[in-house]
Amino acid sequence: MFSHPLYLLYGIGLLGIASVGGMQGWLATKPDVVKDVPKTVRDNPGAYRSHYAYYSRYTGGK
Amino acid sequence: MGPVVTAPIVKARGLNCPNCGNAVELKGFAHTLRVTCPSCGTMLDTSEPNVKILHDFQQQLTRTPLIPLGSRGRLKGIDWDCIGFQTRAVEVDGTWYEWSEYVLFNPYKGFRYLVEYNGHWNFVTAIDSIPEPVAGSRPKVKYQGKSYQHFSHATANTGFVLGEFPWQVKLGDPVGADDYVSPPYMLSAETTTDEVNWSLGEYTPGTEIWQGFRLPGAPPPVQGTYANQPSPYEGKVGGLWGLMFLLMVLLVVAAIVMSAVAKHEVVFHQSYSFAPLAPEPSFVTPVFELKGTKNVELAIKTSLSNNWAAFNFALINDDTGTAYNFGKEVSYYFGSDSDESWNEGDPNATMLVPGIPPGHYYLRVEPEMDKGLPAPRTSGYVSPLSPRAAAAAAATAEKPPVAMSYELTLTHDLPTFSLFWIVILLLPIPPIWRSIQAASFNSRRWAESDYATGSSSSSSSSSDD
Repeated sequence: MFSHPLYLLYGIGLLGIASVGGMQGWLATKPDVVKDVPKTVRDNPGAYRSHYAYYSRYTGGK
Repeated sequence: MGPVVTAPIVKARGLNCPNCGNAVELKGFAHTLRVTCPSCGTMLDTSEPNVKILHDFQQQLTRTPLIPLGSRGRLKGIDWDCIGFQTRAVEVDGTWYEWSEYVLFNPYKGFRYLVEYNGHWNFVTAIDSIPEPVAGSRPKVKYQGKSYQHFSHATANTGFVLGEFPWQVKLGDPVGADDYVSPPYMLSAETTTDEVNWSLGEYTPGTEIWQGFRLPGAPPPVQGTYANQPSPYEGKVGGLWGLMFLLMVLLVVAAIVMSAVAKHEVVFHQSYSFAPLAPEPSFVTPVFELKGTKNVELAIKTSLSNNWAAFNFALINDDTGTAYNFGKEVSYYFGSDSDESWNEGDPNATMLVPGIPPGHYYLRVEPEMDKGLPAPRTSGYVSPLSPRAAAAAAATAEKPPVAMSYELTLTHDLPTFSLFWIVILLLPIPPIWRSIQAASFNSRRWAESDYATGSSSSSSSSSDD
């Protein structure tokens, strides 16, 4: 086991990255972040538009 | 205290060259049967009291031994005098391959030999017992419990001699040479018309010989891979694979532990319905708390039937005003045709939102569905649906819009395993690379044998691990 210290280090490093990254979701798709969204959104949700709202949603066309 | 016993003082025997009169010292004593005059190169027969000239000027001194004759050195813990030097060569496919042999002598240990080819050295000892043949597809012999594979057969000819020899060496003497290898050892059988002499060689680094004989400079560089050269990967590949499997097990254990430790806490769950023609589709959920920077998963479960829906989400931190926007399109179509029943898509979906900081959050939800209006057709648009699902979607679009019910479930603190799959791919790379190197080394070794691919004998190679 210890006759391959570099490989052991490599493996443990990968294991650590996979474990920490798995808990933090490192490889998951990151959402778009918008800062300073006004508190009024809670009262008027229609006033807030993320850019997702402007995508064409139609999937049934030929 | 008893008498001190000391080793007897041994003095070399001497004679004068009958050709040039030069003094010739015989360090091998009575064991020396042939000697060449260091002055004129004449080969002398010393097996009888009256020294005879075998060859006048039998050769020009065309070779210079790397270890000067008369040198004393220490190898394998014993002092040796280098007293003889010869070259031998074999012809293979019209090419001559030449190697050098040095005769070493110690009055108490006898003779040993150093064989050098392309910078590869072997320390050779003659053996008395005959190795035992082993049955198999390829010739093998067994000696002292170790199995040796046949490597090559050739007829070697002596090309040059200098110094003393314990056998009746003759220029041009042919000898059948069979080599059997078990790195770092090599058994050699030299066959003449009268006898078969076996010897055991041990691969010895040139630096060890240079240090032992205190030779100036560095040994000649090693070229190629030699028959009994130990593989630098010997015993390492298996260990590497073993360690890889251990790390794989640890990876699985880590995944299980992570899954067990994660709370999988459902922080929000609610059912809704959506009418496509509703005036304002967006709404917000009640505030919920997320503790610690963790992943969040949002699951959507819909009642979609031959229809599609799109969801725009914003996970908004009520304390800081930071919004995390994401979206998902869900579609589910099914039907049957003459061949079979079919379905495409999934009415349910999940989204992972990674690394959300702690705080109080609410979710802004904005669903969207077909409103029964003419479909926007963009030039060049290619539907992601198959033709039959696209046809079903078009048929649905022509009907009045249908309401959808759906459930949203927000789960906090759960692991992702995509990195684990990448690690599973990365972990075997070093063992695979090392295995390729070991196989390549072994392949180079056997390329010089009678069993190389394309040689007259069968192709095969042994494992280095």
